[in-house]
Amino acid sequence: MQVFNAYMKVLKKKLPVAMIYVIVFLTIAFPMSRAGANSDKFEATKLDICIFDEDNTPESKALCDLIVKDNDIVELENDKDVITDALYYESADYVLIINKGYAEKLAEGDTEEIFGSYHLHDSYSIVYVEQFLNEYTSAVKAYLAGGLDLDEAVKSAGEAVSVEAEVNYESFDEDNSSADFPKAFSFYFQYMPYILLSVMISALCPILLTMGRKDIRYRTNCSSVRPSSYTMQILAGSALFVIALWLIFAAAGAVLYGGMYQGKGWYAVLNSFIFSLVAASIAVLVASFSPSDRIVSLITQVVGLGMSFLCGIFVPMSMLGEGVLAAGRFLPAYWYIKANNMLAGSEPYDGSKLMQYMLIEAAFAVVLAILSLVVNRVKYTGGLKAKGAAKAAA
Amino acid sequence: MENTVVKIQNLVKRYDDLVALDHLELEIKEGEVFGLLGPNGSGKTTTINCLLSLLSFDKGEIEIFGKKMTPVSYDIKKDIGIIMQNVAVFDELTVYENIDYFCGLYITDKATRKQYVDEAVSFVGLEDFLKFYPKKLSGGLLRRLNIACGIAHKPKLIILDEPTVAVDPQSRNKILEGIEELNKNGATVIYTSHYMEEVEQICTRIAIMDKGKKIAEGTKDELKRMIKNTETVTIEIMELPDSAKQQLAELPHVYEVTCSENKLTVCCSGGKHNLIRILDVLQKNDLSFGRVYSELPTLNDVFLEITGKALRDKED
Repeated sequence: MQVFNAYMKVLKKKLPVAMIYVIVFLTIAFPMSRAGANSDKFEATKLDICIFDEDNTPESKALCDLIVKDNDIVELENDKDVITDALYYESADYVLIINKGYAEKLAEGDTEEIFGSYHLHDSYSIVYVEQFLNEYTSAVKAYLAGGLDLDEAVKSAGEAVSVEAEVNYESFDEDNSSADFPKAFSFYFQYMPYILLSVMISALCPILLTMGRKDIRYRTNCSSVRPSSYTMQILAGSALFVIALWLIFAAAGAVLYGGMYQGKGWYAVLNSFIFSLVAASIAVLVASFSPSDRIVSLITQVVGLGMSFLCGIFVPMSMLGEGVLAAGRFLPAYWYIKANNMLAGSEPYDGSKLMQYMLIEAAFAVVLAILSLVVNRVKYTGGLKAKGAAKAAA
Repeated sequence: MENTVVKIQNLVKRYDDLVALDHLELEIKEGEVFGLLGPNGSGKTTTINCLLSLLSFDKGEIEIFGKKMTPVSYDIKKDIGIIMQNVAVFDELTVYENIDYFCGLYITDKATRKQYVDEAVSFVGLEDFLKFYPKKLSGGLLRRLNIACGIAHKPKLIILDEPTVAVDPQSRNKILEGIEELNKNGATVIYTSHYMEEVEQICTRIAIMDKGKKIAEGTKDELKRMIKNTETVTIEIMELPDSAKQQLAELPHVYEVTCSENKLTVCCSGGKHNLIRILDVLQKNDLSFGRVYSELPTLNDVFLEITGKALRDKED
């Protein structure tokens, strides 16, 4: 177990890098998943409006009452400096002045100069408030033209503009999520491949590079430790790291989930475990090329971000173009996200298809592991031959 | 010095058309400090790699401790210690952890290992640096750590491949003393180096290799007897007329006379009382001279004469 113990000591030294990724991910993932839970609820925006009613008639008061219903009223001193300060510091969005003679003019159907205002140039509040006032005064005029008296016209117009439009939240994805794997929670598992790839390549790769350093391997090969035992101990150390990391994410997911996983939740956990193996295989393959620290850091970014953008981790698959999706099919994260989307209800649930997606992921892990073996074999035999020949030629 | 520890017979190693080891024969006896000398590319490292079964070979046989050496000869490997030119330690492990790790590749019993590691630490004098990481150590201390990692398991055969490269004189001296002590404690040592004075200081027998072949082998004195030069006389002199130079050249056993920058050099091959005869010629010619040196050939002279003086500019 000497090699395994050394592996653990090296791991301890490399762990802070991995933990930074883990902590940042969990810190971001928790609020994001909770925010995702409320993303399909609509709430109309309220403006901070200050009203100076200089007309002070029942008609002007009716308008004030109507505005108060859907906005927040701000009390300000009727002083130009105070008003401009309030607008500048955004303590008020719009200052409405109901000019004297408002009721009188409205009764005559004249809407010219019945309002004054202070507002920031090009502010969205202008559009919102002025559209409302236009609708209201137009409605009053229409009711007056229809033969109602001013009092009735004001009342009817108030009722007309108070009708609220029903707002429905439309998603690009069809939401068929179930209670045991809600769509909001699925975001946690959706972002997980990025962090698994980043942690595996940035932490596991340097450990393997250290353990496989040429001069240390030379010394080990001279010892009485069998190469198979050495490899097995490295594998055991790596497996422990991968499983521990996955368990941290699975446990954090359970906390977010609100208890032990149920039903489809377990499939998501299994899916993340398979992807952990894929990420570990990628790290092993990268390590077999003996890259420098800078190159490892570069590969972490390229692989992590590349797969995230091509496979629907950061941008939902439904928003990706056909070309991007076609390229993504050749990457393991694509199949992970496909499985996760199915569990989240974005596509109809089909157990056999889900297994197929996970098996494709697992196949990626196997192929990557075989590739690593081939690269190591070629590197060892080819490298030794070339080095020896160069020395002999010297 | 009875038993044969290493026996290499008819060893041939080829890289395609290139012959790296050409029917090499070596025999190293128990208790020897065996120096392996040779210019760059002569096949020293290839020999060691074949010896350790890290490299396959085309022909020949290698026996260590009387048994055939193969890549799976773990019973033989457990009694071999290797100290390379490069410091092969973990940067992530402390001095103690490093020695413990490499010792643990051979010794599984914890109590024995602890004792061995403590002894190795004290042997190389790293007691005050046990909790240091290698990056905090100076070059000399790193070399000592490298040696401790190679010898902690108390091997019977120690192979040192240029262990003193880029080491300060104090650390080099400590390392050489250590090797002599290991040898006194019963270890057989194979030592490769480019530093002739080191080899001359510690090796009991030396083999000189060139182009994959062993071109000379013997003790220091035996090797020195193989070359033409047996004595070099150097004299500080103001001037040397051609007639006097001619008389010197005609002296018995003198084969080369040169004079440049007020320094007369006379090379002799064999014979006794060469210095007296040379000084006699100078006195007869009424030539005044200053300091006089008479030097016996060094291993460096042997090496240069046997392997030639042409530059070998690539690493072995």
